[in-house]
Amino acid sequence: MNPAAVDLRVRLGRLELEHPLVDASGTFDLVETARRSRGDYVAAFPYAAYVPKTVTLDAREGGPPPRVTETPCGMINAIGLENPGVAAFLEGLSTIVGLRRPVIVSVGGNATQEYADVVRRVETALGEGARRFPDVAGYELNVSCPNVPGGLAIGVDPQLTAEVTRAARAATGRLLLVKLTPNVTDVRPVARAAVEAGADGLSLVNTFRAMVLDRSSLRPFLGNSTGGLSGPAIKPIALRMVAEVAEALPGVPLVGMGGIMTGVDALEFIACGATAVAVGMANFTGLEAPRRILDGLRAECAARGFARVTDARGVALARGA
Amino acid sequence: MTAAARSPHPRRARPERGEQWAETSRCRVVAARRFGAFTALELLAPEIAAVAWPGQFVMVKVPGSGFLLRRPFSVFTARGDRLGLLIEARGPGSERLADAQVGEALDLAGPLGAGFPLEGVRTALLVGGGIGCAPLQMLTDALAGRGVPVMAAFGFRDGRQARVAAAFDIERLWVATEDGSVGRPGMVSDLLAALDAPPSATVFCCGPAAMIAAVQRWAAGAGLRGYASLEAHMACGVGACHGCVVATKRGALRVCSEGPVFALDEVVIP
Repeated sequence: MNPAAVDLRVRLGRLELEHPLVDASGTFDLVETARRSRGDYVAAFPYAAYVPKTVTLDAREGGPPPRVTETPCGMINAIGLENPGVAAFLEGLSTIVGLRRPVIVSVGGNATQEYADVVRRVETALGEGARRFPDVAGYELNVSCPNVPGGLAIGVDPQLTAEVTRAARAATGRLLLVKLTPNVTDVRPVARAAVEAGADGLSLVNTFRAMVLDRSSLRPFLGNSTGGLSGPAIKPIALRMVAEVAEALPGVPLVGMGGIMTGVDALEFIACGATAVAVGMANFTGLEAPRRILDGLRAECAARGFARVTDARGVALARGA
Repeated sequence: MTAAARSPHPRRARPERGEQWAETSRCRVVAARRFGAFTALELLAPEIAAVAWPGQFVMVKVPGSGFLLRRPFSVFTARGDRLGLLIEARGPGSERLADAQVGEALDLAGPLGAGFPLEGVRTALLVGGGIGCAPLQMLTDALAGRGVPVMAAFGFRDGRQARVAAAFDIERLWVATEDGSVGRPGMVSDLLAALDAPPSATVFCCGPAAMIAAVQRWAAGAGLRGYASLEAHMACGVGACHGCVVATKRGALRVCSEGPVFALDEVVIP
């Protein structure tokens, strides 16, 4: 089968995506990359949707350095949700108005209400002048950052996750995703709570709480002491969790992620029930990563006779998805 | 031909502290010289060499499947179509790169970061510690091209590390070693007072945090202004991940984007 003939289009809830690949929040900055690229990178953005770095109501300084290092088959980070706050975020967003892809705004916060407040601020700005911005198609609630005090408190608790989701749901009619943490014994109760509270879909997984030592001093390497582990090292665990949620909540669109570096990695998440997949650490390996993974996905589908990428969805599951 | 006319990216005006390019290119190693724990690599990299600015860096992919993140390296030299990198074997990634062979192709992204401002510099005092000496050769070349007199002070741990001084082409270069085996015994900061820098000198330094702090104190006492190039662990190198921030008087700033060069007096060493 000719790879070029593979139909890569997917529907993430009400959102039509040209292909299943999006960037994982915090791993790709379109404004910065566009400044460092030949041609019009904003217009040629390779991902099917743009998920910017998590934004909170007010600016945050983030955690103390060092914040990142490579680990065997992966990396650890403790950025601590550094961001300029929602007002400056909206200013930045207006500079990429030429983006032809939908934007999914990643929202963070401490209290239940803060998430909804950020959503409302974005909705207000869009209401006052949608043409100043690219197409904001929805939100991803980051209830799963392991690197800020209380960052995991919401995401490990089905009831709090439901509260946050409900409040945000009340603030927007756009696509609403909730990003789940893998730092739980069973991810399914939280997943179910988010969907019952109004989430249109789920993203999983965020990073795993982990620790790296400085080998000479034997003290924690990261300024924050602990951080979030990502990259190929976590892929098998992430696949298991995506499959669990896909089987528990059939029909709920999932954005699968965790160590996707190649086309076949992406296809594996789709086989475990994901509708779309997010690329994270691979963005740090080079600007060509999204194109390479997308071409790989197309070739891997063709090699297996999947005329549509959706034909591969759920084939790893016990009863399809 | 002007540098701007040589640039493969004529669409944009050249920023004063260097253009930044995230695109990657395969660059062949054309020379590899070893100096103790250091390797000076010379790569055929016409596009990067044409636009590189002193103080900028490149992100280098480590060959082999065991490495994922690129590693940042200062531009050591940019002469014609050749880009020079100075590599100190510190961990498995830099060890592999230090072992690169002539003929091998490396995957580079860059140049990146905001380099040293050169406008208005009348006399330059360069201070380097260990691998931090790397960006100071290209800086010397650029200053010499502008007719700016340069003196340099390099500090090393020991005689083995000091062997890298032979990789540099700087006329007025003083060396200090902590173990006293080469040059003046002690820290590079001890050298500075003896150099008798003119009050018009601009200080350019790069090295470990303790050295930057010592240079900061000395420069403040001597009434000299200058710049410090900082290093940090990086993931992306292009401003996306916010992994490489350092404390400054302007708040936490990214070494890869707002830096690696900062005003000497704005850097806050913890």
